Amino acid sequence: MSSRVYGLTALFLVTILAASISLFIGPVRGAPWAIIWQIRLPRVLLALLVGFALAGAGAVFQGVLRNPLADPFILGTSGAAAAGVMTAGILSFRNYSALYLMSLGFALLSIFVVYRIARVNGKTPIQTIILAGVIVSLFCNAAVFVFFSIFYRESFTMLFYLLGTLTEGNPALIAISGTIICAGLFVTWLFSRELNALTQGEETAFHLGVSVETTKKVLFVAASAMVAAAVSVAGMIGFVGLIVPHMMRMLVGPDHRVLIPASALGGAVFLIVADALARTVLPPLEIPVGALTALVGSPYFVYLLHQKQKVGEF
Amino acid sequence: MPALWIKGVSFSYPAGFALGDINLEIPEQSFLALIGPNGSGKSTLLRLMSGLLRPDCGEIYLDDRSVGEIGRRELAGQVAVISSEQFFEFPFPVAEIVAMGRFPHLGNFQKMTDQDWKAVEEALRMTNTEHLRTRPISQLSSGERQRVLIARAIAQQPSILMLDEPNAHLDINHEIGIFHLLQFLNREHGMTVIVVLHDLTAAAAFCRSVALLHQGRLIKHGSPEEVITSEMIRRTYGADVVVHPSPVGGFPQISYAPK
Repeated sequence: MSSRVYGLTALFLVTILAASISLFIGPVRGAPWAIIWQIRLPRVLLALLVGFALAGAGAVFQGVLRNPLADPFILGTSGAAAAGVMTAGILSFRNYSALYLMSLGFALLSIFVVYRIARVNGKTPIQTIILAGVIVSLFCNAAVFVFFSIFYRESFTMLFYLLGTLTEGNPALIAISGTIICAGLFVTWLFSRELNALTQGEETAFHLGVSVETTKKVLFVAASAMVAAAVSVAGMIGFVGLIVPHMMRMLVGPDHRVLIPASALGGAVFLIVADALARTVLPPLEIPVGALTALVGSPYFVYLLHQKQKVGEF
Repeated sequence: MPALWIKGVSFSYPAGFALGDINLEIPEQSFLALIGPNGSGKSTLLRLMSGLLRPDCGEIYLDDRSVGEIGRRELAGQVAVISSEQFFEFPFPVAEIVAMGRFPHLGNFQKMTDQDWKAVEEALRMTNTEHLRTRPISQLSSGERQRVLIARAIAQQPSILMLDEPNAHLDINHEIGIFHLLQFLNREHGMTVIVVLHDLTAAAAFCRSVALLHQGRLIKHGSPEEVITSEMIRRTYGADVVVHPSPVGGFPQISYAPK
C-alpha cells in the first residue's frame, strides 16, 4: 500500500512541476507577470482540470465496459457533449446551467445509446464499441454541420472550439467545470472497489455482493458529467482518456482506488505538456491541442489494438 | 431444514420456456451435481438458486428466507458463486482478486482489517495458491485461475458454494485437483457444494448426489447409482452408453461403444 502512496505523491509532484514550468512557456518570451497570471495561469488550470476529467472518465469507462481500449472520445461521449454545447449556444441560452445541462444531457443520451448498441451477451467487445461510438459521432457531426450552415458567420470559432482548445478564460466557467469534475472524480473514487469487482464481470460482481445496476448508473453519470464539464470549456480533446489510464495501469496496477487518482494526475500532466507544445511548436501560430492529442493518440490506439490481437484477445 | 429448498419453481426467458415446476431439497453439507443435456436448464436453475434470476412462480428458500428478499451483501456472505462468465482483461494480482471475496463483509468505504487479510491468507493456503499471490491473474494458466477463483469464493466464507462447470477447459490433472479441493471443502469445512456438470463420470466420482434435468424438468434426484443409469442416459441424452461400476469405488462409470 505504501508504494502506491509514494507513486501517487510522485505523480502529484510531477503535476505541480509541469504546471509551474508551463506557466513560463509560450509565444511571448520573458512575458510580463500580467500575462502569466491572467492568461497562462487560467490556461494551465484548465489543462489540469480537463486532464483530470478525460483521463479519470477514461479509466471509469474502461472498467465498467471491461475494455481497456474505451475512451470518452472514441465512445462518442465528447462529440455528443459538444453537440449539446453548440445546441445551447444556438438556442442562445445565456445562463450557464442551461449550457451544462445540455452538454450533460447529450453526453448521457449518447452513452446510453452506445452501451445499448455495443453490448453483446453481457460483453462489450472493442469492435462494437468502436462501431457504436462512430455511429453516435457521425450523428453528432451531422448535427454540427447543420448548425454550421445555418450560423456560418460563427463557424470558424465553432470549428476551433470543436477541435479542442484550452483558451477559455472565463473564470466562472472554469470554476463551474472544475467543481463538477472534482465532484465526479470523488464519486467515482468512492465506488472504486465496486468498479474493481465489475472488471471481473457483472455476474461475478453481483455474486460478490455489488448492486450492479446502481453502481453502473452512478459511474456512467459521474463519468459523463466529468466529460460534459470538460467539453463545455475545452471542446473535444481526444485520446487522453485512452493513453493515460493505459500507461497508469502499467505504472500503478489495475486497482481503481489508485488508478483513478493516478489517471487524473497523469491526465493533467499529459494535457499541460500537450498544451505547452501546442502553443510553441509553430510560433506565432497555435495548433488546437485536440488536434495534437489525436495525432499522437490515433497511432497509439492502433498500436494497442495490434498488441491485443497478437495476444489473441478480442 | 434443508440448506436450500426449491419449491415449485418455474422460469421462462423472454425467448422461451426454461424450467417448469422444480421441487428440490438440498440438505446441508450436500455435494450435488446438476446434470442434463445442453439446454436442459441446469445453468438456469443455478442462476435461480444464486439469486441472479427470480422465479416466475414458486420460491427458493435459503434457511427459512426467500432468496429474493435477502440483501445483496448478506446473500454474498452466505452463497459464493463461480459463474462461467470470466474476464481476465485486467491484470489484478492474485491476492487482490482473492481479497475481492471480502467485499460482502466490508461496510461501505471500510478498509480491509487484519482479520480480512487473515481470511485471504487462509483461502490462498487452502487452495495452494500462496506462491501465485503477486502474479497477475491475466498471466496464469486456466487451472491456476480456477484455483484462484475458488480461493476468492472461500474468502467470502460462504455456507454454500456454487460452480458452473468448474472443470471446463481443464486438463485431467487440474480437473481432479479442483474436485479434490471441492470434496475437502465439503467434508472438512461443512460447505454445501452445488456444481453444474457436463462430465457425468466426474459427477459420479466426486458428487454425493445428482439431479438430472431434461427439457426444463427435474427427472430424477438421488445418489449417483440411482440417477446415472444407461436407461436414464438413453432417455434424456439420447445416447447409447454402457454404465458399469467403476473399478476404483463402485460408483457408476460410463463407457462409450465404438461404432
